[in-house]
Amino acid sequence: MAIGFMVLIGAIAAGLSTLVMSSNFNRVTLDIVRDRQYAADGAIEEAITAVRMLDRSGKGSCEVAAGSSTSELNELRIRVDWENVCGVVRTAVGDLVAQRNVVFSACQDTGDVCRDDEVIVRAQVNFEQAETGEVTRTWVQSWSVL
Amino acid sequence: MRTDLGESLVEIVITVVIIGITVTALLSGLGSAAAAGNAHKVGVQADTAMRNYAEAVKSAVRGCREGQSWTPDFSPAAGFRVSMSPADTSCPSVKESRRLDLTVDSPTGTRQVLTIVVRTP
Repeated sequence: MAIGFMVLIGAIAAGLSTLVMSSNFNRVTLDIVRDRQYAADGAIEEAITAVRMLDRSGKGSCEVAAGSSTSELNELRIRVDWENVCGVVRTAVGDLVAQRNVVFSACQDTGDVCRDDEVIVRAQVNFEQAETGEVTRTWVQSWSVL
Repeated sequence: MRTDLGESLVEIVITVVIIGITVTALLSGLGSAAAAGNAHKVGVQADTAMRNYAEAVKSAVRGCREGQSWTPDFSPAAGFRVSMSPADTSCPSVKESRRLDLTVDSPTGTRQVLTIVVRTP
């Protein structure tokens, strides 16, 4: 009976300590995930601004081009790879015009290109340009948190 | 045959003391678990406040034009306080992205900080 009593008390104590520890662990995990998502989100925002300012005659045009950048946010180093995936659309009057779209992929920087299974956020952004080549507005076409 | 065997007073006192210590330990353990549960709840509320605040700030900046200022449409739950650094609410130029450190202070005194990036489209 004494042994049963001790086992019961031990089980209750172990259960309580496990409850407290798993609760704290889950809390910390939530913070880590949130910080990672917003770091990737911010890194892509910075990459969009950088790509927006590219010279239209070079990578800022609709030629096949790609690049990358890194940002340090929320104590994480995030790499953003981007590539032009321009399309052609027909206007209301039937003219064909090139549409400058860029796909951005953000992952935690490992010094190498972002692999598909490492991507945290992937976004496709359309860069609306004036005749002069200046970007007048950006349109986020898709924004996926993976 | 009836015997006079039983527990002595000392044995009973020791038993009562052991049970008392055990119950006290269990109650304090339950108290700790309850306190941890409450801290967890406050942490989750702070996390929700932080995410909502961040989205409100990003949305407000997205909707503003150069030369204007922006105000996030967000009110934290009672007891929580939010702040931002730098406290510059002028719309950023389209040529720049701006980093903002958001802070959420919870009623229990814990603080969460998150850096976000905002820009105008």
